[in-house]
Amino acid sequence: MDLTELFSQYPYLREGITAIVVIFVDICALTILIAAGRERRTGDRRWAKEGRGLMLMCGNEVYPLGAAELLIGRHPSADIHFYDDEISRFHALLTLQNGKWQIEDAGASNGVIVNGTRITKPHTLKRNDVIRIGKRELTVVKGSGKVVS
Amino acid sequence: MAENTTKSLSHPFLMLLILIAHAAMMLLVLLTFGLKAEVLRLACFVLAFDFIGSIVLQIVHREACTVDSVLLLVIGMSTIYQSCFGELEFALRHYLFGIGAFLICQLSYLLVRNPYRAEKLKPLWYILFFGLVGAIFFLTGERGIWIDLGFITIQPSEFVKPVFVLIAASSIRTQLHKRELFGLHFVPDNLMLIFCTAVIAGLQWWCRDLGSLPTFVAVAGCGLLLRFRYLREKMSVRLIIFLGACAVAAAIAAWTLAPAYVQERLHSDIWSDMSGTGYQQVKALTAIAEGGWFGKGAGNGSLVHVAASRTDIVFATISEEWGLFTALMTVILVLFLPAAILTVPPRSYYHSGLALGVAAVFMVQMTLNIFGSCNLIPFTGVTIPFISQGGSSMLSSGILAGFLKAAQAPVLTSPCAERRG
Amino acid sequence: MAAKTQQKPQEPMNPQLDVTAPRSMRRAGHGTTLLIIAFLAALIYLAYVLVTQSPDYIAKAGAATYGKVYDRHGDVLFDGSKPLSSYPAGQFADVGNLIGDTSGQMSNTLIAKHRSELANYSFLYGGGNQNVSLHTTLDHKATRAVYDALGSMDGTVVAYNWKSGDLLVCMSKPCVDIALGYDKIEEMPKGSLLCKAFSPTVPGSTQKVSTLLAAYQYCGIDATNGMIFDCKGSWVNASGQKINCHNRSGHGTQTLQQGFENSCNPFFAQLVQSEKLPLTAIIEGYTKMGYRVNGAEQPGFSLDGIQIPPASTTLTADTDFNTQWGCIGQGETLVTPYQLMLFQGAVASGTGKAVLPYLLSARTDVDGTVTSLGAVRYTDEMFTPESAKAVQEVMIKNAENHYYVSLPDFNCGVKSGTAQVNEDGREYENSLLAGFCLDESCPVAFCIVIEDHVKSHITSAQLAKVLLHALSDT
Repeated sequence: MDLTELFSQYPYLREGITAIVVIFVDICALTILIAAGRERRTGDRRWAKEGRGLMLMCGNEVYPLGAAELLIGRHPSADIHFYDDEISRFHALLTLQNGKWQIEDAGASNGVIVNGTRITKPHTLKRNDVIRIGKRELTVVKGSGKVVS
Repeated sequence: MAENTTKSLSHPFLMLLILIAHAAMMLLVLLTFGLKAEVLRLACFVLAFDFIGSIVLQIVHREACTVDSVLLLVIGMSTIYQSCFGELEFALRHYLFGIGAFLICQLSYLLVRNPYRAEKLKPLWYILFFGLVGAIFFLTGERGIWIDLGFITIQPSEFVKPVFVLIAASSIRTQLHKRELFGLHFVPDNLMLIFCTAVIAGLQWWCRDLGSLPTFVAVAGCGLLLRFRYLREKMSVRLIIFLGACAVAAAIAAWTLAPAYVQERLHSDIWSDMSGTGYQQVKALTAIAEGGWFGKGAGNGSLVHVAASRTDIVFATISEEWGLFTALMTVILVLFLPAAILTVPPRSYYHSGLALGVAAVFMVQMTLNIFGSCNLIPFTGVTIPFISQGGSSMLSSGILAGFLKAAQAPVLTSPCAERRG
Repeated sequence: MAAKTQQKPQEPMNPQLDVTAPRSMRRAGHGTTLLIIAFLAALIYLAYVLVTQSPDYIAKAGAATYGKVYDRHGDVLFDGSKPLSSYPAGQFADVGNLIGDTSGQMSNTLIAKHRSELANYSFLYGGGNQNVSLHTTLDHKATRAVYDALGSMDGTVVAYNWKSGDLLVCMSKPCVDIALGYDKIEEMPKGSLLCKAFSPTVPGSTQKVSTLLAAYQYCGIDATNGMIFDCKGSWVNASGQKINCHNRSGHGTQTLQQGFENSCNPFFAQLVQSEKLPLTAIIEGYTKMGYRVNGAEQPGFSLDGIQIPPASTTLTADTDFNTQWGCIGQGETLVTPYQLMLFQGAVASGTGKAVLPYLLSARTDVDGTVTSLGAVRYTDEMFTPESAKAVQEVMIKNAENHYYVSLPDFNCGVKSGTAQVNEDGREYENSLLAGFCLDESCPVAFCIVIEDHVKSHITSAQLAKVLLHALSDT
């Protein structure tokens, strides 16, 4: 069968096939994107592992630690922000490295107090540590169960 | 457990889908050219790359498959495109550089997947940056942009792009680190970024190659805007007006102060000089028009005889042979790479900066290439990532894709710390 | 566990693990989204531009084949699909400088302005299709009739249906024969490549229609009709300059109707100088009719893209020799035959507004769909309906009294003119005839110019007869 001949007989055959192939390729790309959405859950689980499942709690409010660097402060762009006058705009910085969460003073006027002591250098957080920022007390807790995001 | 099965199922399924997509395109090539040895060769190489690539990924790490999958899909597609332009000839170089890009993507992922380490290496990025700038300044003869090593020519300005993206990204800790000098508070990192932008702008001016300047300006702009956004929730109206005014002033200054050859490009009507400066664009537009929605068929194009048909006006070349529809879809496919961070957000400020920087590079490059060759904006010689021919561009795009992958799957635990812990 | 609960009773037992990324991590995503949306929008725009302009690209790059141009009865006026030499000799000889061709030699022709629409190409179907055609309102048979009647003379004839706007005849001689090509372009007579109906020319006494219209509007119908001026063969104006009449022995005392019919120069010069009709009124009347008076701005016309300059004149003082001549039709007055025809259209309609002529009536697409083009559009009011009706009456009487022999079968109104032209050092006289026909079978406004008419075997009135007969036959 000579295909070139076939194409010349049916002028729109090749166009049709091209369209089908291209649409298929894009369906493929779309599937990749859907798979990426599914990958998000994988990413969350991986992050839970990286962060050792730690979270902050203030009263009944849970503050997830969802990024490697988190800014606590009064400024609206802070990741964990409180509208208290005693809290500086950029109060404290939480960082995660090698599975350890550390807190450090980001230039707070009232200081960051962990377990009753004002910290001067980065302090590695453990479960049940209590961070005092202004009037607020944040407790380090470990989450459990299925990951929510 | 249930989640684990979806994970292990989806990956091979995706790879199979990519394999089928390439096979379908190969079928189209087969239908056009008939059963020839070259068709088989192309099919074997492309499908083998899919197959081996997916197995390698399966073994090494299964995370962040979005970037890898799109990369496999795009590289295979571009190899098929490049092999069919004008006539069927397997584009071995392009194929090898494609594999190189895929591998270098994994390497760059390993290098920057830990945002702390990547940022700690910033002095090294500065050294690399100035090294490359120096190389362009001293090694490329005749104020050009190519270094000729005899057996291969390297375009160092392509490799400046990923380095510049690494420089443009910044973490919140760096932003909080302010210095004071003569009563002025400033962030050293931001000053360095502005300095580097000025250096690269000056260099591009000197090289008389302003084509990739928009890319660098866009990366720097995105980096700076993101820095503003770190510490500012809302931009005040005044700041927006100020920035807008600055941008307009800069645009007007650039417009009026641009060198003569740029002015000429800005004002020339390609149709009045069809054999001179407008030659490539006229040919490109005519080819797109002749191709129509579904093209003339692979290998039937005539644009291949025009200079830069595989690089600067590749959009038109694909359009002519495969149709505008295919060309647009291919471009959108490349867009999926930077779009990946919309589904899985990055987990650190530095990676956010990298992701936005890469998005800026890809988007600006494609904009300049496609709209330039279609005469909507002045024509410049830039490439479409992964689609255009050219080793330097391919590899540097691979590095950039690695950054995107890092933003998707950060690793904050170094292996030695893991062992200690 | 129990101990812990005692220590901190407010803490829930097992807070659900939450690893949501903070908002700040989405900022890069927002930036990327913006970039992607902007890029996609630009891509859509690009696709739109490419699809809509692709026929233009093909045409400009010279890669296109072209379709046919038809007249109103299906006669071919241009054919891009096969050699023009395959048509009978002279098929295109009378319309070449109006319809034009795709060679790019002429820039103000129908095809030059609609080149991409004539290209046998569409983005979806590609090239190679033979369907595309443009349909015009032109009557090729009538055009041929006046072309042949002119014989060896040069001139231009333009006529349109003043009710519908169909441009029926637009012929300019000498005319290039596009079938013969441009190899002997140097040997072609001057003006072969442009349609003179669209070029300003000296209007001669046809200008008196415009002056009369200005007078009617300012002085009123009855007052103007009651004006009486004396002609002794020549007349000396307030500045001491002499205006000659073509009748050296003079017309004597004339009413307006007589002055108009005699086309008496002293009559109209006295009208211009008269205190009853100040110059400002003439300028106002002319400006309303579309004249560029003393360099003022006027838009001109576009006939389906073909550019037509507006009429122009210079009027300085009502006692000035040149101003008076300008209102009689010499001086610095220049009007295109097209615009003279348009005035007649507005007079014929009796409304002071003319229907704008159009040439393209329809276009057949690549896939065979026919798009209707051209709709009835009007000019602004050029003069009042009352003055239009008054002039109509004067012109009909003129035709009855002086052109009954030439135009016995038609209810016509005409004004003749003789224009002294000095071109490239050569002096000659053009004969003009502007007029209209009110018959139901032939509602036509026209303008005829015969160049160097002294040598002519045919008068402009005889040519008008040929024209009207050809148009009323079909």
